Amino acid sequence: MATDYLERGAMAGVAGGLVYGLFVATVGNAFTAGLETFEHSHGGGGPVVSELTTTVASIGGGVLWGLLFGVAAFGMVYFFLEPAIPGSGATKRLALAGAGFLTVSGAPWLVLPPQPPGVEQALGTETRLAWYAGLMALGALVAVLAGLAYQRTDHHHTAVRLGAMALPLALLAVPVMFAPANPVHGDVPAALVAAYRWTVVFGQLVLWATIAGVHAWLGDSDTPATDDLDYPATAD
Amino acid sequence: MQKDTDTKHAADSVYDRIERAKASLTGPQIAIAVALVAALGFTLLFVQDPMLHDSLHNFRHSAGITCH
Repeated sequence: MATDYLERGAMAGVAGGLVYGLFVATVGNAFTAGLETFEHSHGGGGPVVSELTTTVASIGGGVLWGLLFGVAAFGMVYFFLEPAIPGSGATKRLALAGAGFLTVSGAPWLVLPPQPPGVEQALGTETRLAWYAGLMALGALVAVLAGLAYQRTDHHHTAVRLGAMALPLALLAVPVMFAPANPVHGDVPAALVAAYRWTVVFGQLVLWATIAGVHAWLGDSDTPATDDLDYPATAD
Repeated sequence: MQKDTDTKHAADSVYDRIERAKASLTGPQIAIAVALVAALGFTLLFVQDPMLHDSLHNFRHSAGITCH
C-alpha cells in the first residue's frame, strides 16, 4: 500500500525530472554559462571539470532533482497527508506541489533570491545556508497552517476558506524584515539578473506542476488506504 | 479537538495513514527510503568535492541555489 504511493511518486518524479532536465539542457546550462563571462573569480582557480562534464552532469542533476521531489513529496508526504490536503484529484496534487514549491524555493527566495554566476553576495555561505534551512522550515509551517485553516473553515463559503488559507502567508514577512542585509556586487546588468531570477522561478514551477500533473494522471490506488484496516481504531 | 472534525474524517485520516504505515512497513524499509532521499539531496546540494561540485554548478544555479 505505502509502496504503491512510493512507486507512483517516483514515476511522477522521474517524469517531472525529465522535463526539468530538458529545461536545464535548453535554458539553464546556456543561460548560466553565458552569465559566467561576467565572473571575475570563482573562489580561487577555475572549475576543475570540463564544460561538457558540467553540461551533462547538470542535466542529470535536474532529472534527480525531480526524482527527489517526487519520492519525498508525492511518495512519502502525500501518503500520510492525503486525507488532510484540500481539494481532490488534480487540485489536491497541485496543492501539495504548491506547498512543496513554497517550502523548497518560495519562502527561502524571499530573503535569498536566486543569483546568476558573476554576482558576489556579502553574506557568507554558512550564514546563507542556515537562513535557507530556517526559511524552508518556515515555508513548511506556513503550508501546514494554510491546510489547517482550510479544514477549520469547513462549511464556510469558498472565498472565506481561500482567504483563511492566505492568512498564514503573512508570517513570511517576518524573516524578510529581520534578515541581515545581503548586498551584492557584480557586473551583471540588473535587467539580466531579473530575467535570470524569473527563469529559475518558472523552471521550478514547471517542475512541480509537471510532477503534480503526472501524479494525478497516474490516478489513485485501486484500493483506498483503509480498505484492509481490520483492527479497531483506538481513541483513548 | 474531539469535535466534528474527528467524526468527519473518521473514514480516512492522517492518523489512519500513520497506523497503516506502521502495520505494513518494517523499520529497515523506512530507514532505506529516508536514507535514499537524504543521500540524493546531499549529493545534489552539499557535496563539496570539487569534481562533483563543479559538475553540478549549472544545475545549482538553475535551481536557484547558490553557494559561492
